[in-house]
Amino acid sequence: MEPKIQSKPDEELRIGVYVCHCGKNIAGSVDCADVAEYASKLPNVVLSKHNLYTCSDPGQETIKKDIKEHNLNRVVVASCTPRLHEPTFRRTCEEAGLNKYLFEMANIREHCSWVHLYEPEQATAKAKDLVHMAVARSALLEPQEETVVPVTRQTLVIGGGVAGIQAALDLADTGYKVYLVEKQPSIGGKMAQIDKTFPTMDCSICILAPKMSDVGKHPNIELLTNCEVTEVGGYIGNFQVKVQKNPRYITKDCTACGDCTKVCPVEVPNEFEVGLSGRKAIYMPFAQSVPARYIIDAKSCIGLGENTCAKCKEVCGPDAINFSDKAEEIELKVGTIIVATGLDVFDPVSLMEYGYLRFSNIITSLEFERLINAGGPTGGRLVRPSDMNVPKTVVFIQCVGSRSEKKGNPYCSNVCCMNTIKDALLIKEHWPDVKIYVFYIDIRAFGKGFEDLYRRAKEKGVIFIRGLPAEIIEDNKTKNLWLVGENTLEKKIYTVNAAMVILSVGLRPRDDSEKVQQLLRLSKTTDGFFMEAHPKLRPVDTPTGGVFLAGCAEGPKDIKDSVTQASAAAARAGILMAKGSVTVEALTPTMLSDKCMGCGLCARVCPYNAIIVDKEKKLATVIEAACAGCGTCGAECSFNAIQMRHFTDDQIFAQIDAATAKDADKKIIAFCCNWCSYAGADFAGVSRMQYPSSVRIIRTMCSGRISPKFVERAFARGAAAVLVAGCHLNDCHYIDANYQTKRRVEKLWKKMERLGLDKNRLQLAWISAAEGEKFASKIREMQRIVEGATKLEIEKTVQSLAQKKVNVVTEVAKA
Amino acid sequence: MAHKDSPKIGETKTEMLHPMHVPKDELQGNEQRPSLDKILEDLLDFEKLKYCNGCGICTGICPIAKILPEYYNPRILLHSLPLGDEKILKSPQLWLCAWCYRCYRRCPQKLNLPEIFQVVRRYAVESGYSEGFIKALEIISKNIPLPISCSYVCFHPERVIKNQQIVADAIQQAILTSSPEKSKEQPFAKSTKNVAIIGSGPAGMSAAHDLAKKGYSVTVFEALPSAGGMLRRCIPKYRLPKKLVDFDIMRIKDLGVEIKTSTPIDGTQKVKKLLEEGYDAIFVATGAQEDQNFTIQGAELNGVFHALDFLEKANTKNVELLNTVSIIGGGNVAIDSARTALKLGAKDVTILYRRSKEEIPASPWEIKEAKDKGIKIDFLVSPKKILGENGKVTKIECVKMELGEQDATGRRRPIPIQGSEFMMPTDSVIMAIGQSPNTVFLPKTVELTTQKTIVTDPFTLETSSPNIFAGGDAVLGTGTLIEAILAGKQAAFSIDHHLRGIPLDPVDIAENAFGRENNGT
Repeated sequence: MEPKIQSKPDEELRIGVYVCHCGKNIAGSVDCADVAEYASKLPNVVLSKHNLYTCSDPGQETIKKDIKEHNLNRVVVASCTPRLHEPTFRRTCEEAGLNKYLFEMANIREHCSWVHLYEPEQATAKAKDLVHMAVARSALLEPQEETVVPVTRQTLVIGGGVAGIQAALDLADTGYKVYLVEKQPSIGGKMAQIDKTFPTMDCSICILAPKMSDVGKHPNIELLTNCEVTEVGGYIGNFQVKVQKNPRYITKDCTACGDCTKVCPVEVPNEFEVGLSGRKAIYMPFAQSVPARYIIDAKSCIGLGENTCAKCKEVCGPDAINFSDKAEEIELKVGTIIVATGLDVFDPVSLMEYGYLRFSNIITSLEFERLINAGGPTGGRLVRPSDMNVPKTVVFIQCVGSRSEKKGNPYCSNVCCMNTIKDALLIKEHWPDVKIYVFYIDIRAFGKGFEDLYRRAKEKGVIFIRGLPAEIIEDNKTKNLWLVGENTLEKKIYTVNAAMVILSVGLRPRDDSEKVQQLLRLSKTTDGFFMEAHPKLRPVDTPTGGVFLAGCAEGPKDIKDSVTQASAAAARAGILMAKGSVTVEALTPTMLSDKCMGCGLCARVCPYNAIIVDKEKKLATVIEAACAGCGTCGAECSFNAIQMRHFTDDQIFAQIDAATAKDADKKIIAFCCNWCSYAGADFAGVSRMQYPSSVRIIRTMCSGRISPKFVERAFARGAAAVLVAGCHLNDCHYIDANYQTKRRVEKLWKKMERLGLDKNRLQLAWISAAEGEKFASKIREMQRIVEGATKLEIEKTVQSLAQKKVNVVTEVAKA
Repeated sequence: MAHKDSPKIGETKTEMLHPMHVPKDELQGNEQRPSLDKILEDLLDFEKLKYCNGCGICTGICPIAKILPEYYNPRILLHSLPLGDEKILKSPQLWLCAWCYRCYRRCPQKLNLPEIFQVVRRYAVESGYSEGFIKALEIISKNIPLPISCSYVCFHPERVIKNQQIVADAIQQAILTSSPEKSKEQPFAKSTKNVAIIGSGPAGMSAAHDLAKKGYSVTVFEALPSAGGMLRRCIPKYRLPKKLVDFDIMRIKDLGVEIKTSTPIDGTQKVKKLLEEGYDAIFVATGAQEDQNFTIQGAELNGVFHALDFLEKANTKNVELLNTVSIIGGGNVAIDSARTALKLGAKDVTILYRRSKEEIPASPWEIKEAKDKGIKIDFLVSPKKILGENGKVTKIECVKMELGEQDATGRRRPIPIQGSEFMMPTDSVIMAIGQSPNTVFLPKTVELTTQKTIVTDPFTLETSSPNIFAGGDAVLGTGTLIEAILAGKQAAFSIDHHLRGIPLDPVDIAENAFGRENNGT
């Protein structure tokens, strides 16, 4: 497809450059006036300015005025990451009548001033290079027209915990169709298992059950319990989702009378009661289950195989049991997706020293919720497992599996302090004489009403001791537990004898979150929770357009925060659907019909099967709607027949050439994908992680775009080292395009070996958006390679690739 | 008290050793010595000092913090380091870590406290601050039974002060100045109750020391001809010269403790007889004296040793010179065996350990030192059989291992890799795969675990049989010297309460059990 808008071919280039101080953020280590002065001397630059805040209203007004007054036809802003303000400045350009694709950004904050805080000279030199690269690229930019795609007014909510329930209800009430998919046979999630909520001490299921029932009855909600999402295709506004509906073996005729359970001979541990009691193979998860239908657990039922027990079927009045129920696949078309997959609790078995499961009277905080719950296995009577008596002394241990580098998780789990305080008060409420100790490191009572609850617990005589137990020893006779540790405020060793110990276990990402991550191409933070598009300004968006986050899938949080976030996610999804359409960035490839040989290599590497090759006409064509714009095809084509819009070969070559114009032998050229590794470098900047200033980053949408000829060009220009960085394998935002990156780099390594070059100078790294430190240390590591690269070695590389270079240059010239 | 027969340690100097004089050539690289700030900065980066959340587990698990609560708290010591105060360099706290590594193994943030303290110790010595070490020795000699043995085995600063003579002099000086003649201690009231202690190792002798000081008449029964247990039998001489053990034993004898050597209590009747003979309580501190049996083909060959036998022989008489030695096991005993073998003239010493570096029970520092001395450590290797010619070991067949699931000890279980067998030529094999207690002599009323260790109440240390107490390795399995001393002191405290008819409640234990009542020797 030919570009819809063509720039006037003989138009004179008039580039305007704006260097932003960002207060002291950039100007603190970069001499912005010097950079602006340098830019003014670059070819085609007609105007170069520096100002305090380019993104401010006056800053934007200046740009608009200059476009009109000076007839600027390209604008370059050197400021923060394009991931933050590119949309702002693109809008500015558009308002002044300039096509927004003629705007270019140089990232001199995240990639320069913040990571070279103490080297002003090097930072300034690097900023100049970055501006040079941006100016060189901008000269080759073409105007583009974006396609507008419709947004299907239907939502998929994954996960039926309190966050999923809230998001589903909000959107359904707005008038959109919602598909709520839940893996378990009933919605309700972890909140349904909890006895009371903090800080108000509301009964958890009492406030949740009406919402669950609303979901079940809502005309706009299609509830898909016992279902799993297996495939997600498409893009923002137009997702195609496949859902596997697992067999329930009970039809809709079930009246929930419970006669079946009475006759079922199989008893297995009850998951809802955390194994504290049993359930039958045919069962209802819990009294308030929605849908209020029974289910047969296929793993334990003895009626499903050849030995048909079928006792339940015999007694079922409405004849609602169907042993031949099969899994079915449902296909959905939705415009937006809300991920509310929730959390798992930390399993303390791996913490040997705490003796969980070895000592009978040690339980977890989730087990305690079921023990104290009136609907639980003991009818709400707090008993210790060894003798079923009410314990005289109860000990809570905080931070089990949280805030530890060794076992569990390094982060604070956010809810355990308040949960323990609430639990302690519950015990005091029913059994005032029970002595309660809480061993903690810090009590974090930061929320509204939290401190009051903490104070109440102290009033009631709960003893808080700062210092975790170092040893727990079980008394063989009494099954009591001895705890020895240091009271760090008293600086004395304590020895406490407890009848029962409750481990306040932390929260962790779900085991199956990896699967969800791959289905939706999400990013994870180092904690393992899903990463938001921006931690402050887009806290419920994900990097994948049209996909939003709610609840603990994004990080540990309490019920109130989960509900708040769910409503926010619903609003964000609602905005998209209310508009009904969305513009898609013009990043798809253009096939140059005169060059295409119809070899089909591009079609083979396309992750979306978006290229059709007509062997007879010797021509490949792109299905615009299916293409996501990764550029893997462009990197594969050996005839230069594919031009990636906005990321053309020439534009990237121009960036490489500009970066290597001076002191190339001291530089690292890094090609980074937009979603993960470029964002990872941004994260290093935001975190002020310092690394050598020798690196020049070139952004592509996907690492799959990085053609071997880019790497060769960098080496041919005398670069000391090249880094190719992308998302982790299997985390690629374009399905599996980064496998092509891997293959290409491996091929390049072989070639370098064959040419007798040091292949170490080409590095491949998988760096996620959360791995700023990994990016920084990779550059530190590569600095040693740069320092080790001899003049001779670099000269040899330049010569070995010289032949190739001529070819490339001539081809570029031809193009 | 300097007993008139007490052996001399090294060469006694007449002048006082305060502050300890360390000659210039003892200092390592003092010219370009980095500042304390720089050292701390490195520690902060590499040891993650800053990640300490102050949970107190290190102090809660530390035996020294229990024996010397007024003098030592590893958490507070750690926290005082980033303040960069020079005072810390002069403080005795710095020298009271006994290198048991319990804190490191339990720290949720993986802080390696012993080695952090080590760096600061070296810095203190290099900066000319040695008074902390001298003060620490005084504290040790006043508060810890067997002070010289402890000073050598647990608190020895050999890793920072290389001249052994200086250390030996300092230790002797500290012990002499703290002898009872010079301190003003109240004489103790005599009790009419008698206590029998079975075993004269560190746990038994520590209990004897504390009980004698409380006025009980104490008799220690020892099967061997001389007292001291593992201190004498198996701790290598290079670590602890044996005449120093005599000095420590003498100090306890001076308190009126009777030690009956060559008097094995080797039958259930003999234990019962002790109670009948008028002993009001028995403390069983027999340790873990037996090498664990390892059934391997070729174990009967000439040149195969059990570690404890080997170490004992090396301490008492000359062992046939070995050339290539393979040691099986990864504990401190394995390292001691390896270093002893090296000292006996072995050319090539290799330790075979079946798990990885992460799981090895020997202290990290011990491993580093062993490696520095040229000892090889092969991880993830397990022997299959020992082969020989003419009844003499020639080689071992080994198999490579990989780690599988976690086992009951929380460590990953080693699994042999099929077909990875290989041969290792060797002249001698030392089996150091652990020790177990011999508890068959105890009456049936004393409950045992499946590992043959004795079951006791964790705090009173009383066994299931009334008036019989037990502690140390016989209860806990193999541990360090300082842990045995803690057990001895704990037993003495509990037996004292028991004999006075005062029940122990947790508050007593928290306040007193770990030595607060035992100030001064």
